[in-house]
Amino acid sequence: MRNITASPASSAPAAAPAAIPVRDQLGLQMRASHVLMAVFVVAAVAFAAIGAAIGDTFFLRLATEALIFAGFALSVDILLGFTGLLSLGHALYFGFGAYVSALVLKETPSFWLAIGAVLASSLVAGFITGLVANRVRGVYFALVTFGLAQVVAKAVYNTRELGASDGLIGVPIVPINLGVGTLMSNAPAAFFLFTLGFVVVLYLIAAYLLETPFGRILVALRANESRVPFLGYSTRSARLAAYVLASVIAALSGALYPMLRGFVSPELLFFSTSGNAVITVVVGGVGTLAGAFYGSIILTVLKSVIGTMTEHHLIVIGLLFIGTVIFLPKGLMGVVRPWVMRLLGRRAS
Amino acid sequence: MTAVLEVQDLGVSFGGIRAVDGVSFSAARNAITTVIGPNGAGKSTLFNLISGRIRPRRGRVLLDGVDRTGAPPHLMQRAGLGRSFQITNLFFELTVHENLRLAAQRLEPADRLWQPVGRSARAAARVQELIARFQLGAKVSELAGALSHGEQRRLEIAVALAAQPSVLLLDEPTQGMSHADTADTAALIRTLAQDVTILLIEHDIGLVMDISDRIVVMHQGRKLTDGTPAEVRADPAVKSAYFGDA
Amino acid sequence: MTAFLDYFQFVLAPQMITGLSLGVAVVLVALGLTIIFGLLDVINMAHGEFYAVGAYLALSLGFAGVSFWLLLIIVPAVMLPLGYIVERGLIQRVFNKPDRHVTTLLLTFGLGLVVEDVLKVIFGGNTQRPPTPISGAIDIMGVLLPNYRLFLILFGLAVIAAVALVVNRTRLGAVVRAAAFDRNMAASLGVPVSQVYAGTFAFGVALAGLAGVLLAPVFSVFPTMGRDFIFLAFTVVIVGGMGSIMGTVVAGLLLTQVQALSSLIVSPVWSDPILFSIMVLMLVVRPQGLFGRLGHA
Repeated sequence: MRNITASPASSAPAAAPAAIPVRDQLGLQMRASHVLMAVFVVAAVAFAAIGAAIGDTFFLRLATEALIFAGFALSVDILLGFTGLLSLGHALYFGFGAYVSALVLKETPSFWLAIGAVLASSLVAGFITGLVANRVRGVYFALVTFGLAQVVAKAVYNTRELGASDGLIGVPIVPINLGVGTLMSNAPAAFFLFTLGFVVVLYLIAAYLLETPFGRILVALRANESRVPFLGYSTRSARLAAYVLASVIAALSGALYPMLRGFVSPELLFFSTSGNAVITVVVGGVGTLAGAFYGSIILTVLKSVIGTMTEHHLIVIGLLFIGTVIFLPKGLMGVVRPWVMRLLGRRAS
Repeated sequence: MTAVLEVQDLGVSFGGIRAVDGVSFSAARNAITTVIGPNGAGKSTLFNLISGRIRPRRGRVLLDGVDRTGAPPHLMQRAGLGRSFQITNLFFELTVHENLRLAAQRLEPADRLWQPVGRSARAAARVQELIARFQLGAKVSELAGALSHGEQRRLEIAVALAAQPSVLLLDEPTQGMSHADTADTAALIRTLAQDVTILLIEHDIGLVMDISDRIVVMHQGRKLTDGTPAEVRADPAVKSAYFGDA
Repeated sequence: MTAFLDYFQFVLAPQMITGLSLGVAVVLVALGLTIIFGLLDVINMAHGEFYAVGAYLALSLGFAGVSFWLLLIIVPAVMLPLGYIVERGLIQRVFNKPDRHVTTLLLTFGLGLVVEDVLKVIFGGNTQRPPTPISGAIDIMGVLLPNYRLFLILFGLAVIAAVALVVNRTRLGAVVRAAAFDRNMAASLGVPVSQVYAGTFAFGVALAGLAGVLLAPVFSVFPTMGRDFIFLAFTVVIVGGMGSIMGTVVAGLLLTQVQALSSLIVSPVWSDPILFSIMVLMLVVRPQGLFGRLGHA
């Protein structure tokens, strides 16, 4: 038997009580990532200044390559750290962007044309392959993405029109017209700073999207995918959107590669490239976005340093990776970021 | 009183077992309809069929007179159905605030999806409402996984209610709760029913008899009977299903 | 008619035999993978590297004078403790964390990298090939069959049958299956679950090593051989059904036949895309594979 008389307090909307202060945890995390990125950018600019002053070419170009791969790692973090999807074949899109860029640049050395072509084509490619890959999740998703990249890599390796195993060489130097001036892709410090700006823009785009309700749905997918449909959202659509976003960012990063190196090769599509990005993200800090950048620098430095001693840097990196997975699963930025969050939190109150 | 939710001859089988076998009933607007039955009667499966988690082999589900049979969960939600889970199914590694905000986001128009979270004012206001109503103020910045069991069950209901559904499915909301919490929850459900039509699964017979307007009794996948609490209490078939020889 | 018989005798049948011998070895590797997944719920990305380790052990011990027949016993025996240590020392450390699937995948992926590079350090990057243990060929109804391939097929089938027997018909197998089904229940019944887990992993690794011994004379030995093989092994496991022995056998034999026969029709470059398409098709149409049970990953 139900009590029919309703108490007035519950039926009429109460005069708005004092709002409970809520701390948006995820928002705070993102702001902390911004701080870490700002530190990174400052350090990078200082690095460029020093490099330019001493007339260095080698280290600036090495660092530029690290930044390009950082952009790629960023895309992997969007999937792994936010949506909870482990893609073992994301180099497919990185390599795709590199090849498309190289093909365009060899015809017409126009930066914006190449970027535009990569943007448009990667949207389509990411969408179509994403439809296939996102029919499954978890371990199967990892294996499908792995297989997809294998198949395409082998196809490219065997296609003469794409340079087969040698890849495409002879990509010309590209003038990049920024409106306020033009820089050349073979100017070490200038191109380094340009690449820095480019991948930072990619970071900002990713950060913005992840702080929208759409981005929060991705986070929800990672936290508890089974509940998400009951919130009113199609998990398949959300995962596909995340996948396309990650594919485009990977491709845009790849587009810069031929501008730096003057060639592209099938190695860019191989599992080792995908694997390196995953290692970068895990070591740098999964789910922090900034971790992709710090991780890429760490890995590049490690590879160079160990590379001078022995060609077996994979053992060291592999062991570091295993150690990180077991002992430091949140990665470097995963440990540093909470400190920054505490600092930011204290300043706010 | 009009029927907001109507279930007609709903049925599904799993590997030869008829988990739900031709169940029909209707839930009247702003009433509390409770589904009871011994373990294995098919109650949770019924909820899964209604909410779209499982596709029925036969039968129909009508929400506000519109046939929604076989619609996937996210479309059922958009049609006005909210659902809580028997085994707590929250976003444990997110804060209580974020759990509520995620669920309340549906109140915003579609283009808000691509704007910064801070702009969703309506959702934020709804979150404040829910915090007050469900007394979660003290724990609002805690991770959902750090809450006590009773608090988590409360949050379950709040999340299901956040997007202002017209029909709320509560699957054993008092599961594992203490006596005090159970009584509070019963009172809460009663007040909720003023705005929402409630379909409830519960094992606590005292609670069921106390707050239900209608009771649907299930047994081995079929509906045994339905009626007011007094009718059901007096029904000999119900007694034997629970205690005896069925 | 005679044209077809000739085709069968000289082209089709040899190709099918080649496919069958590869298929038997793939099944041995994939069996280890599927058993490890079926019991431990772990995707062993380093499984291909264990296959390579088996091959390299066979190579080096063989050059040291150990007979092939002894190798068939010694190599898997050596790999058992190796697998045991990997499971207890590495995998158990992350096993109880929340996102176990991803973590163990990453962990074994890292392990694979390390093992591959260690092999390169010890043995160099060049391709080497141990001598074929059984030379000559046999003539069956006009089809020329290399003796070693025939041995491979028969021996491999015997091992597969033995594994199936142990898992499905013995008490040991029942214990393993119980631990897979409900870990806590098995533990409360007195089953030493962590040792069962480690032992099963070791067994799967040993199977991969055995396949390495068997295939080394056929395909040669080089450091990245594991990575090339793993794609095929995973495809077999997915198509057959993760955790299903029957599925692995059927899918393994079937897919290698598809691979062998398709290379007669189209360029071998297409065999990977064909296999991959079958894998994706299976995942889309019937995610649990041919014989798998739903509810895994």
